[in-house]
Amino acid sequence: MENWTQRILLKGALLGMLVANVLSIAVAAETDKPLIEPDVRPQVVDESLIDTENFELGTFAGVINIEDFESSLVYGARLAYHLSEYLFFEGNIAMAEGGDTSFETLGNVTLLTDSERDYRYYNFGVGFNLPGQLFFPGAYTFNTNFYLVGGIGATEFADDNRLTINFGGGYQVLVNDWLSVHFSVREHVYKIDLIGEEKNSFNTEISSGLSVFF
Amino acid sequence: MQKRINQNPLVVVLLLISQLVFAKQAWAGGPWFWLSSEPLAQVTVMEPFVEWRSGPAFGFPVFHVSEQGEKLELLIRKTKWMKVKDPKGHEGWIAIGDLMLMQDDSGAKVSLVEPRFDNFSTRRWEAGLMAGEFESTSVNSAYAGYWMTNNLSLELWGSQVLGNSSEIRILNLNVLHQPFPEWRFSPYLTMGAGKLFIKPKATLVNEGSRSEDTMNIGLGARYYIDDRYFVRMEVKDYKIFTNRKTNEEATEWKIGLSVFF
Repeated sequence: MENWTQRILLKGALLGMLVANVLSIAVAAETDKPLIEPDVRPQVVDESLIDTENFELGTFAGVINIEDFESSLVYGARLAYHLSEYLFFEGNIAMAEGGDTSFETLGNVTLLTDSERDYRYYNFGVGFNLPGQLFFPGAYTFNTNFYLVGGIGATEFADDNRLTINFGGGYQVLVNDWLSVHFSVREHVYKIDLIGEEKNSFNTEISSGLSVFF
Repeated sequence: MQKRINQNPLVVVLLLISQLVFAKQAWAGGPWFWLSSEPLAQVTVMEPFVEWRSGPAFGFPVFHVSEQGEKLELLIRKTKWMKVKDPKGHEGWIAIGDLMLMQDDSGAKVSLVEPRFDNFSTRRWEAGLMAGEFESTSVNSAYAGYWMTNNLSLELWGSQVLGNSSEIRILNLNVLHQPFPEWRFSPYLTMGAGKLFIKPKATLVNEGSRSEDTMNIGLGARYYIDDRYFVRMEVKDYKIFTNRKTNEEATEWKIGLSVFF
C-alpha cells in the first residue's frame, strides 16, 4: 500500500519535472536569450587611458671639483625625456660654491667676492642607454641602465658665463616602474680667463640621485 | 647573515626602498597616491605566442611567454613597450609591435596611434634644443612650436649667446612655413620678432645692461630620423634696432635635435 502511494506520487513528480523541462526548453528555444544579461560591454583599447611614463624628473647631489677652486658640494635637478628604449634627451641645472685657490690660502689674498664664487650651470644633451640587470641575494632583481651622456650648456662662475660642454656616464637602478636611483660621473669643460690668460677649466662631478618616471 | 648585511649599508637601503615601494604589486603604474579608477583595457593574444621581457627594452631578458588565446591587461606604457598582467598575476613587458597584433574585447585588432612624421594629426606640438653660432659667438637655444596647419607653425624661442665681452639673451616669436610637410627632408622659411637683452661683462666695460627690439628672417630644414624625433638646422638673419644712428645686423646658424608630440 505504502509502495503504491509512493509510486503514484513519484510518478507524478517525475512527470511534472519532465513537463517543466520540456516547457523550459521550448521557452529557451523560442527566445534564445541568456537568462542573465551580462552587464559588461566589449571594451575597446583606448590609448588615452593608458598611462605613459616617458618623462623622468629627479634630483641629485654630489661633489664637483672646480678647477683651481677646491671641490665642493653640488646639487641640482634633472629632467629626461625617453625617446626610445635606448635614446633620451636630458637637461640639468645645478649649483655649487667655489672654494679658495692655493694662491689665495698661501698669499692671504682674495681673487673673488663671495657672490662671484657662486657656481651654477645648466646643460642639455642626449643620452644612450645600455640595459641590464642587477642581482642581490634573496632573489632581488633590479633592471638597470648603464648610460652615456653628452651635451652642451653654460656655466656661471667668477662673474662670467661660459659655454660648457659636458660628457660622462652613469648607472641607473630601476627600483620599480616609476622610481630609480642614479650614480653618475661627468666632466664639464669651459674656458676661463680669470688670471688674464684664457685656459680650459676641467670640472669633474661625481653624484648620485633619485628620479621618478611620470 | 646579520653581519653581512651590516657590511653593505647600500644594499640594506636599496632593499628597504624596494620593500617600501613594492608593498603591493597591485598598483598599476604609480604609488598609492596616484589614484586610478579606470578599468584596465584587456587584449587577447592572437599570434601563437608572445614574449615577455623583464623591462621595457630588448636588452632585458625574456622570462615568460603568453600563448594564443590568453587575455592580458594593459598597465603602463614606456616608449615602445607595454607592461601587461595575465590572469595569474604575472607582470612583464611586451613590445608595442607585438601588441598591435592582438585583439581587444570588441574583436578588432588593437589600434594605437603611433606618431609619424607624415601624419599631421600625430604631431601638433614640437620642442627642441639647438646650438650654434651667433656672429661667431656660441649660442644655445630652446624652442617650442605649435602646428596650426600642415604647413604653418608658431614658435617661441629662447636663446643665450655666450660672448667674451657680453652675454646676450634673445626671446623670439616666429612664424614658420614648410612647403612640403610630407618630405622626410623638409625645408622651411621662417620670420619673427623679439627682444634682445645685452649684459656686458663688468670686468671689461663699464656699461649697463640694455635691451633692443629685433626682427629676423631665416631658412632651415628638418630631417626626420625616427618617427618621433628629427634633426633640425637653420640660418637666421637678425636686424637689431638700436638707439644709435645705424641698426645692427647679425647672422646666426644652429643645429639641434627636436621631438614632436
